[in-house]
Amino acid sequence: MSTDPDAQTTRKIVIEAHDVVKRFGGAVAVDQVSIAVGAGEIHAVVGENGAGKSTLMRILAGILTPDSGGVSVNGKLLEPGAKASLEAGIALVHQELSLIPEMTVAENILLGVTPTKFGVIDSARQRKIAGDALDQIGVSVDLNERVSRLSMALRQFVEIARAVARNPRVLILDEPTATLTPAETDYLLSMLQRLAARGLAIIYISHRIPEVFRICERATILRDGQIVEVMTIAETTPNAVIDKMVGRELKLDLQTRRVADPGAVVLSARGIRAARVNGIDLDVRAGEIVGIGGLVGAGRSELVRAIIGVDPRTAGTATITVDGETKNINGYGNAVRSGIAFIPEERRTEGLALDMTVAENITLPNRAALSTGGFLQRGKIAEFATRLANTVGLRPPEVDRAAGEYSGGNQQKVVIAKWLGREPKLIVLDEPTRGVDVGAKSEIHRLLRELADQGTAVLVVSSDLPELLELSDVIHVVRDGRIMGTLSPDEANERSVMALAAGERVASSS
Amino acid sequence: MTHTEIIKTPTPASIAGGSGNSASKTVAWVASRGIFIFTAVLLVFSAIFVNGFASSVNIIDVFHRASAIGIVAIGMTFVVISANYIDLSVVAQIATSGVILMALSPTYGVLGAMAIALFFALLYGLVNGISVGFLKANAVVVTLGTTGIGAGILSLVTGGTIYYGPTGGPIDAFGDARVGPFPLSAFVLIIVAIVASIVLSRTKFGFMIRSYGSNKQATRLAGVNSGGVVVGAFVLTALAAMIAGFVLAAYSNTAVSTMSEGYDFRALAAVIIGGNSLFGGRGSIFRTFIGVIFISVLSNILVLSGFSFAWQQLVTGAVIVFAVALDALARKAEKR
Amino acid sequence: MSTIKLQETQTGTWNRVKSTVARRTEGRAVVLLILVIVVIAMQQPIVFNAYGVSLARVALVGLVALGLTLVVLQGELDLSVGSTLALTGVVVATIPDLGLGIIVGLITGLVIGALNAFLIVIVGVNSFIATLGTLFALRGLAFVLSDGRPVRVTDIDSALTFGRELLGPLTPRVLIFILLFIALQFFTSRMRAGREFYAVGGNRQAAIDAGIPVKLRLFTAFMLCGFVAALAGVINTLELTAADPTAGSSVLLASFAAVIIGGNLLNGGRGSLVGTMIGAFALGLMQVGLTFAGTPREVQDVLIGIILLVAITTEPNNLRALSGRVQRLTRGKANASA
Repeated sequence: MSTDPDAQTTRKIVIEAHDVVKRFGGAVAVDQVSIAVGAGEIHAVVGENGAGKSTLMRILAGILTPDSGGVSVNGKLLEPGAKASLEAGIALVHQELSLIPEMTVAENILLGVTPTKFGVIDSARQRKIAGDALDQIGVSVDLNERVSRLSMALRQFVEIARAVARNPRVLILDEPTATLTPAETDYLLSMLQRLAARGLAIIYISHRIPEVFRICERATILRDGQIVEVMTIAETTPNAVIDKMVGRELKLDLQTRRVADPGAVVLSARGIRAARVNGIDLDVRAGEIVGIGGLVGAGRSELVRAIIGVDPRTAGTATITVDGETKNINGYGNAVRSGIAFIPEERRTEGLALDMTVAENITLPNRAALSTGGFLQRGKIAEFATRLANTVGLRPPEVDRAAGEYSGGNQQKVVIAKWLGREPKLIVLDEPTRGVDVGAKSEIHRLLRELADQGTAVLVVSSDLPELLELSDVIHVVRDGRIMGTLSPDEANERSVMALAAGERVASSS
Repeated sequence: MTHTEIIKTPTPASIAGGSGNSASKTVAWVASRGIFIFTAVLLVFSAIFVNGFASSVNIIDVFHRASAIGIVAIGMTFVVISANYIDLSVVAQIATSGVILMALSPTYGVLGAMAIALFFALLYGLVNGISVGFLKANAVVVTLGTTGIGAGILSLVTGGTIYYGPTGGPIDAFGDARVGPFPLSAFVLIIVAIVASIVLSRTKFGFMIRSYGSNKQATRLAGVNSGGVVVGAFVLTALAAMIAGFVLAAYSNTAVSTMSEGYDFRALAAVIIGGNSLFGGRGSIFRTFIGVIFISVLSNILVLSGFSFAWQQLVTGAVIVFAVALDALARKAEKR
Repeated sequence: MSTIKLQETQTGTWNRVKSTVARRTEGRAVVLLILVIVVIAMQQPIVFNAYGVSLARVALVGLVALGLTLVVLQGELDLSVGSTLALTGVVVATIPDLGLGIIVGLITGLVIGALNAFLIVIVGVNSFIATLGTLFALRGLAFVLSDGRPVRVTDIDSALTFGRELLGPLTPRVLIFILLFIALQFFTSRMRAGREFYAVGGNRQAAIDAGIPVKLRLFTAFMLCGFVAALAGVINTLELTAADPTAGSSVLLASFAAVIIGGNLLNGGRGSLVGTMIGAFALGLMQVGLTFAGTPREVQDVLIGIILLVAITTEPNNLRALSGRVQRLTRGKANASA
């Protein structure tokens, strides 16, 4: 850990975290992090996906209790728990909206602290406080309107008004501009500056480097749960910040790099639009691994799910070409029948039936091949499942064991195994190695490369940059539901991907 | 690799660390295996302490009463395993098929009447199944509605008439027939149980029901037409209810629109008490079968001990509440 | 200070009316009510003159439905209301002293509500399953207490005064119903605890994060629901001067129909007591109209069952999902043929 001595603030410190550590299971999410933010300061916390930003924020807001270390406000150490943090004046604007759709704007702003007289809502005071909070952030909206009828942008502002209504000393915002248009973002940023000018300490988490440079005084850069550096924004450049976020020079194992020999186009998507997807064209060829990069919330999962029909798309067409025959993909069932395999992001809720055995999970997509006249062929299933379990390297390869008994890496192997039985023409993987141990990860990578070598088209969404760079023959970087740039293996490195993903173009240095 | 090596391999669970304390393990064990012990204890207890239980006349009577309820419960198992809670409309379905059999046999013959009953059973299964599977409506509310419609129409059409079969006719003969000491209905139960068990555990369709109940989203993402699976589960339940209606009508050689009162409750009791999880996915026909034996014997010894039908309802209801609480506690313990 | 306009606001009276209508949840109930009124006006206008009878019927359906609405608003369900009604009726009739009987009956309702809430909130049983269990157990208890036969109230004279008209044509039953509606409507729209029911049903995690005592709110709703069902049982018994242990099942059907046609979302967070009230009015008037027209009771059950089935399968959210699927299908066909 290195802290730039120049980046100390001269302001009066309002909130301070001391050597905070938080582990989830074996993994350290936040490691010995100390941060101090002064009155009137807007302090950025930046880092790659999974750097520990959100965990740190939830610790600061008292939602998570750290394993060691603590948080203090105005020099007083806080008791654990959200209540103490709220009372100390810490307000968190969540990344996921936490409004009640069928309640009015005024009710939402004062949810949990509704003013009452003898249990009856004091609606005059409720409207007054809510109105004041909205005035403070300069947003006008009908206090009696139900939140379900507001635009996404207005909901975001109501969420901020809710934090402001509690007269906080510290305001923490987690990716508040993710769903906003440029004009709305612009307004939100200047609003934060006004709030800071009144002495509020603001902690601003964002992937978006231009926003950080516009409003923040200092930036704490996190990587793998540790502080890399605290920088003073006025004395640095976007490039330097991105360099620090990415940090390591990637040591790509060159022996694993394969020479791609793409064949004919298998998947062709044109003008795809859906929730969070704003018009994307995409091709995947036989024998090619196409990577989708970008930051969490950029619309990557939504994109692949819309292409193959898991979730509805509002516009666009997708076709799959197998053996020279081109078919439209209308709906998911049709996609599966056409030879598409999908490994979803949420392994435990979407990928596997954890109660069922490995063999049963493998049988599910292969049920037609494994049954005769409607009856399952038990002998065939055992043999089939064992063969696939060995192909993906399941350890131990006991297919009669419940899938839920296996570790994350082995579970993911089962998810892949069940699709391999269909010999798919296109495999779509959403975060293929999340929560997977290092050994299983490299095995899954090897497997995907082998599949591509055999002519399967592979489409991978990943937040794990090294993974994306190692696997992909071409990388599309997505931001705001659009492809911001396409990088060949020669152009792609952590900096070039991150620069496109975070919205700051940097000249390719290699 | 030799067999011993496989056994020596540390299990994934042990790698991941211990799983739960001994108390939660006990809860989980009782929830999954307890019914077998309870049933065995109940049988032994009844045989020793309840006067008249072990007599052959009484055993045959238990079988007789168990058959209709068992057939319904076995059908209901499909809906429960598909994680759709319950089909309340079996009450109306049983009565419909029983009444159709008795009322229409004189005109259309037994087979003709059965065909008409089959048509209505399919109608029930399809309406319930499409509403739940494709229109995504809540199964309890849907079947509450179809119960109201079906029972209302039946009562309206029959006007409370009791339909008697001709003495000595084929239906009466079926009801009175014995194989050795056992009534034919007991064999119908066993055949239905075997067929259902094969469907659930051996066929592609039964497999999809179990998979859907275990994880709806993962099943859908494997390319399964999940709406169709739900329709299938409700249709199977309807077919079983139809057979139960035939058996029930044949037993007494009569049918009336109120003949099946309380069958929803007792069938569900058997399914739950057998240890089939109401959260779906887990369970088997064998468990339901044990559940049927348990509640049939329980009712029987209450009767033999001089308790009224009302007491049977209360005791069975209390056992249901106990069983669902145990199921929920076991789930909780497992998550820890 | 400058402000920003982030959404077009509606101006003009007509637009404002439109947006007010759009934010209400009672639409389908209103349509049904109008339909029922029009048909009755054409076929059986006498229903409107016999408002004593009509209101009594509305009150029977409506009372249980009001309690049920509180639970549904939180995204839970109480299937045991019918059995609660039957059981408390039997309790009231069994206890010789009428006053004591009423008190014990109402306490029974509260205890049942607490038991349901305990199973759901503390033990962690899904509310469908837990109340399905208590539905059967309580029905059994009602049968045990009554021996499966209707029980006559001992103090018939006192009970009879209950059915008399108290205020104009209004009987105590109707008055209690109206008062209870006003009280609960006030509770869920003006009181903090009641308003927070919407938060518990609309976004439970957010409610917990905001510091709302969610478990307490759930207990409150289930106990109120049990209490109201018990109240309905008491009133029913007093009017009939006898308790029927089998009374519950048709009430369950009708009250569910009123709640769902009233626009209350089964997933919680959306709906209103007003909707339930309108639903109950529509169903109650329909029942009276059919009775006057001389149709058998079963026709009412069939119609209510159909209304419930149509209402639950045409819940706006489900329909939207379905129409999306159909659109995709037809679009797919069009593409394929192109």
